[in-house]
Amino acid sequence: MDNTSFEPAHDFFNAWLDTYEATLGRFVEVPALGPSREKYDRMMTGFSKFVNFYTTWVEVNSDFQKVFADAMNRVQERVVSEMGEEISPGKYKDFYNIWIETYSSAFKDFLKSGHFASDMGRFMSYFMEFQKYNREMLEENYLKQMDLPTKSDLDEINKELYSLRKKTKELARQIQELSGKGQPTS
Amino acid sequence: MSEPRLIHNDLNRLLTGMDILFKRPDFSVGTTPSEIVYREDKMKLLHYIPAVEKPYPVPVLISYALVNRYYILDLQSDKSVIKKLLDQGFDVYIMDWGYPSGMDRYLTLDDYVDGYMNNAVDRIREISGMDKITLLGVCQGGTFAVMYASLHPEKVKNLVTLVTPVNFDTDKGLLNIWAKNMDADKVVDYYGMVPGDFLNSGFLLTDPFKLMVAKYVGLFEQLETENDNGSISHNQEIIENFLRMEKWIFDSPDQAGETFRQFIKDCYQKNLLIKNAMVIGGKKINLKKINMPLLNVMAEFDHLVPTDASKPLNGAVSSTDKEVLVFPTGHIGIFVGSRSQKEVCPRIAEWLKPRSYPDGTNDTHKRKNKRKKPNRKSKENVT
Repeated sequence: MDNTSFEPAHDFFNAWLDTYEATLGRFVEVPALGPSREKYDRMMTGFSKFVNFYTTWVEVNSDFQKVFADAMNRVQERVVSEMGEEISPGKYKDFYNIWIETYSSAFKDFLKSGHFASDMGRFMSYFMEFQKYNREMLEENYLKQMDLPTKSDLDEINKELYSLRKKTKELARQIQELSGKGQPTS
Repeated sequence: MSEPRLIHNDLNRLLTGMDILFKRPDFSVGTTPSEIVYREDKMKLLHYIPAVEKPYPVPVLISYALVNRYYILDLQSDKSVIKKLLDQGFDVYIMDWGYPSGMDRYLTLDDYVDGYMNNAVDRIREISGMDKITLLGVCQGGTFAVMYASLHPEKVKNLVTLVTPVNFDTDKGLLNIWAKNMDADKVVDYYGMVPGDFLNSGFLLTDPFKLMVAKYVGLFEQLETENDNGSISHNQEIIENFLRMEKWIFDSPDQAGETFRQFIKDCYQKNLLIKNAMVIGGKKINLKKINMPLLNVMAEFDHLVPTDASKPLNGAVSSTDKEVLVFPTGHIGIFVGSRSQKEVCPRIAEWLKPRSYPDGTNDTHKRKNKRKKPNRKSKENVT
């Protein structure tokens, strides 16, 4: 798929992002002062994370819209050329076949393009960052205040369990080797 | 056919299909009798009850991928790689990785390959009394088997790889293209355990219209509308087969985060395995250490593991007895397609048979392979 066909939309979103960074973005990134500055600073990073996520989300969406629109045009062309002028309900299967073939091929071309891979990679990356931020905020501002266990707490326990489990297996193996029984098997 | 008749027929097909679905058809999978002979954490080692009195002495251990479940190899009795191998006289084991949970998120590739797999191999050696086993790896499980065979060549008699990626630097598979742009660190840091549904979305995106629309339309199009006994059982069979596959596709365990991280970064992004630069648990994987007979089986139309990803294995190992088999089928078709039972399994079996005797023994023993009546019930059916 031709990358240039996506460029106008990308130019628009890049301009939007540049404008944000030159205006509101500068304001929200001003270092906070005062006793709660650490917490406030962490909270404010959410703005840029959200903007990054939102921009890439809209870009990916606009890419998909473009492919949908192109595929729809191709369906219309094929319907006219292959099904003739008279379209009756009995021809719905022919229509379905044209629709599925055209959309399948349009999307396959798009999905295998380096353009999609790089946009989707960026989107996933910002999405994960934003989601992680949301979770951290939830943990810090709600779960910890309510004395509830957090995913970070569980991860810490899981890590500890993992190393204990590994250590136990290693020790069991060593004991069996020393007692001449060879490899442990259960 | 007139238009009203055509519409009437299609409506009938839909109603026929719905009627069968309402009766909750039986679509159990993985029904070949087996018993659990070893457990470690979530991993279970299953031993299939041999179908002949004297199976070939060298046992076969199947290593399946972490993505989706092993029972694709035993989906139903007439589409079962496992059953075919048993019928051909092999003694078959398989590792069921289970459904990892939060406490497994820190499991590494080393834990899977040099931990679970190594312990399973030792257990099989103990049960069978053989020093070496045949390792049959499938897809990502094949990549694990390759890693294992290079770390422990002394325990592997034969290596069979089925649709196994070892060279990840190709642009012929969508997963290869996408994975290069994925920030695995961010995915793992956020999820911990990478959800099976997240990976499934990726697989569905490889051909969205076929996998999310055409497949379901095709199901109803296959149904027959005549109301005789023949068409009723035909329809029932179509729906049950479809449901088995549907169950398998969406039965996706979550992935241990650290394993996922290393697999994406070291294999898909840096392509270290084929360069002999991959390190797991501090041990370097050198493919030249693979010196046992190798059978590398692949599917010509594989959209997930293109042949370019599998073929270089034969050039990277030091085995002198090595062969490549390419079948005109797809990634899943190689296990459950019509060619699987007629061509793929028999060819693998023919290759394995003369190699399934311990080193230094003659393979021309006359073996009585009388079929054995199954007398034990499965302890591990997946339903």
